[in-house]
Amino acid sequence: MPKVPFDPTWCPGCGNYAIWASLKKGLVDAGNPAEKTVIFYDVGCSGNMTNFNTYYGFHTLHGRALPTAVGTKLANHGLTVVVVIGDGGCYGEGGTHLINLMRGNHDITVIVHNNHRYSLTTGQTSPTTEKGDKTKSTPEGAIEEPINPIAIALSNHGTFVAREFAPDINRLSSRITQAIKHPGFSLIDTLQPCPVFNPHQSLEWYRERLIKLEDEGHSPDNLNDAWKQAMRIDKLPIGLFYEEVKPAYHEQVTELKDGPLVAKSIETIDLSILLEEFK
Amino acid sequence: MTPTEDFVWKVAGAAGEGIMTTGLLFSKTCARHGWYIFDYTEYPSLIRGGHNTYQVAAGKNPIYSQKEKVDLLIALNQDGIEQHQEEVGENSLLVFDQEHQKIEIEKYNLAAKLIDLPMVRLAKEAGGEELMANNVALGASVYLLGLDLDVLNQVIADVFADKGQKVIAPNQQAARAGYNFVKKQTQPQLSISKQSSNHLTMTGNEAVALGAIAGGLQFYAAYPMTPSSSILHYLAKNAHTAKIVVKHAEDEISVINMAIGASFAGARAMVGTSGGGFCLMVEALGMAGITELPIVIFEGQRPGPALGLPTWTDQGDLKFVISASHGEFPRFVLVPGDAQEAFEMTRKALILAETYQTPVIILSDKYLAESRFTINLATTTFTNGRFGIAATPTADKTGFFPRYKLGDSPVSSRSLPGTAGGVYIANSDDHDEYGLSSEESSMRTNQVDKRNRKLELMRSEIPKQFWEEEPQSVLTFISFGSTKGTIKSAREILTKEGILTNHLNLSWLWPCPKEQIKQVLDNSKNTVVVEGNSEGQLVNLIAQETGIIIKNRLNRYDGRPFYPEEIVDYAKSSV
Repeated sequence: MPKVPFDPTWCPGCGNYAIWASLKKGLVDAGNPAEKTVIFYDVGCSGNMTNFNTYYGFHTLHGRALPTAVGTKLANHGLTVVVVIGDGGCYGEGGTHLINLMRGNHDITVIVHNNHRYSLTTGQTSPTTEKGDKTKSTPEGAIEEPINPIAIALSNHGTFVAREFAPDINRLSSRITQAIKHPGFSLIDTLQPCPVFNPHQSLEWYRERLIKLEDEGHSPDNLNDAWKQAMRIDKLPIGLFYEEVKPAYHEQVTELKDGPLVAKSIETIDLSILLEEFK
Repeated sequence: MTPTEDFVWKVAGAAGEGIMTTGLLFSKTCARHGWYIFDYTEYPSLIRGGHNTYQVAAGKNPIYSQKEKVDLLIALNQDGIEQHQEEVGENSLLVFDQEHQKIEIEKYNLAAKLIDLPMVRLAKEAGGEELMANNVALGASVYLLGLDLDVLNQVIADVFADKGQKVIAPNQQAARAGYNFVKKQTQPQLSISKQSSNHLTMTGNEAVALGAIAGGLQFYAAYPMTPSSSILHYLAKNAHTAKIVVKHAEDEISVINMAIGASFAGARAMVGTSGGGFCLMVEALGMAGITELPIVIFEGQRPGPALGLPTWTDQGDLKFVISASHGEFPRFVLVPGDAQEAFEMTRKALILAETYQTPVIILSDKYLAESRFTINLATTTFTNGRFGIAATPTADKTGFFPRYKLGDSPVSSRSLPGTAGGVYIANSDDHDEYGLSSEESSMRTNQVDKRNRKLELMRSEIPKQFWEEEPQSVLTFISFGSTKGTIKSAREILTKEGILTNHLNLSWLWPCPKEQIKQVLDNSKNTVVVEGNSEGQLVNLIAQETGIIIKNRLNRYDGRPFYPEEIVDYAKSSV
């Protein structure tokens, strides 16, 4: 019998260790009861975290952690809902969900493990792979341009849009806590080295490029400045690009105003009012 | 003036002329005379233009299907005559508007009695708009068929109640004008007796929606697709009254994953779609299977594959819904035959899904989904228990709750997120008793067996299937779903002509009621399977489950429903 939950199975040097540690710290610091927290895991190296945490969890289909999480939140909005997902799941297979859930400002926290590769399937190109990168599925170099998740979120009603760097656990964990407390859709695009399948984007590669938004004098309430920072190509800014507090989806559903859906009794259903129109 | 026990009324014209509302008003008028109704509509996948029809079969006794022959046809344009001239006979009435439509009526060789009704002029004189010509036709219909104008006027007042008196009054005046115009010209052609009744009239889809609410539905998600959209519309409109959450999600993939997420949290969840949308849902269907979460899926069939015939009817998805998904897990496939069954089976579906923690598919079709039926409910209050949910789960020393416990029962107790002591993983990967991923040989085998063993328990739920027999029967019909009523109607005609038959209609197709089918086949010399697909999918299912191959088949796959007349013709030619 293996230890329960399991020990991680990630490669040495994988950024997932740091994201895992940050998530655990971030959840504890958020202060919600453990049993009222649910983590949705997508498919990929990040999704293997399913077996490493002692929280209610749902290991979903690829790309579908987002809608599954929303279904749970709408059924019981008293829960804290976190999504652990990769760049392939969030920006590729589940891209439509990302765009549409941001429109709804569903109150879920999405942590994207962005290593620019499909690493669990041994290193094919992903939606965030740099143009020209040679991978197993693009041996002559990727033809497509990479997605800009921050710009997509800013242009599409994201109310908490952040990018962080996995190895900085203190910084990432406090961002996760902040995102959980944000009453709406939170996206943390988390840059993550994959030394095995993406050795080019190494720790050194990141260190040369990363800058902190707060050092640039950026204020997260300014959408225009957030845009400028998101479109930078000289440097790679991390931090909170934008935050806006608007009513979350479940707060705008009339039927949920007096409490979570699962708290409503279905013991006795009276159809008499509804049947009037069929007479 | 002939006393009658049933008649068929039809209005035909261009899309956008208010034909659906006209049909609804007429149907309700019949129902409020205490008569049974069966309505059927045909329309192309268009909003404006194109040809629409609404047909009401009404009877003193229960009506189970449409008929080909129409007693009163209202042609709102020349196409209304052109396309339906075969449906009117010498005892039929044809109402048209020569003054407005300039129809070359003489070019048709029509045996029907012609009633030239200046619908548009009378509507305008009554203070209404051109569209109210339909109400003139309704008033005339009521007179000609011996119905009560006051009942029609009350229906108009009720249906347009939220539009106020400024809409109700001219509609009623137009109806009165039509009534009075034909009264001056002719006698009523039929007389009918009013009956007292508590009939409700609703479409198959409305019955599904109400059955779901009665069964404790809490979360409904859908993406629009004919012929399922009217469930979404009904539930969205009534979400507040029913205290449910309705989500129109971005695609069918999101729809079913959201619903499974809601189910995971403990809400009774359901989705609705047609075959094409169900294709997109299939991967998640398997996820509900392996995570053992309840989910109800409504699949309203239309002719496929791909876009097929978007607004027509079909029974070609049977083998697909029974076997959809890679891998193996148990499921129910329920196929209601009429609105009454649609109500009861949808309610039951939500209970079954929760009891067995597995998907339940309700397979309908356009003919059932959008036709309007008479139904009766013995009660308006329904009680629901909750099944298999651990109120106070206890984690073991690992910190996890053994949600997928291997034990005597294949249905293990589940905990809901938010409940202390119940932590587990709903895992799309195969898993151990806590839901943690496991690729270990014996655990995989044990968990597959656990899920599969549910099917044997599920078999015990199969009710007695619809079976009508005659001692001197010369032919046995086997059908499934909405063909039920058509064969019932056909058998009434056949019985009058001295041809006695049996009828087995299947409404539970998975787990398959194979013992009941086998018993019927063992005692029947001459059997025909009537189904709305080309391959004979029910024939093949019966062969798979019983080892008996039925050779006689009556298939229709042109998008139209079966009519009793063709069933009668088949029976006469085969005996």
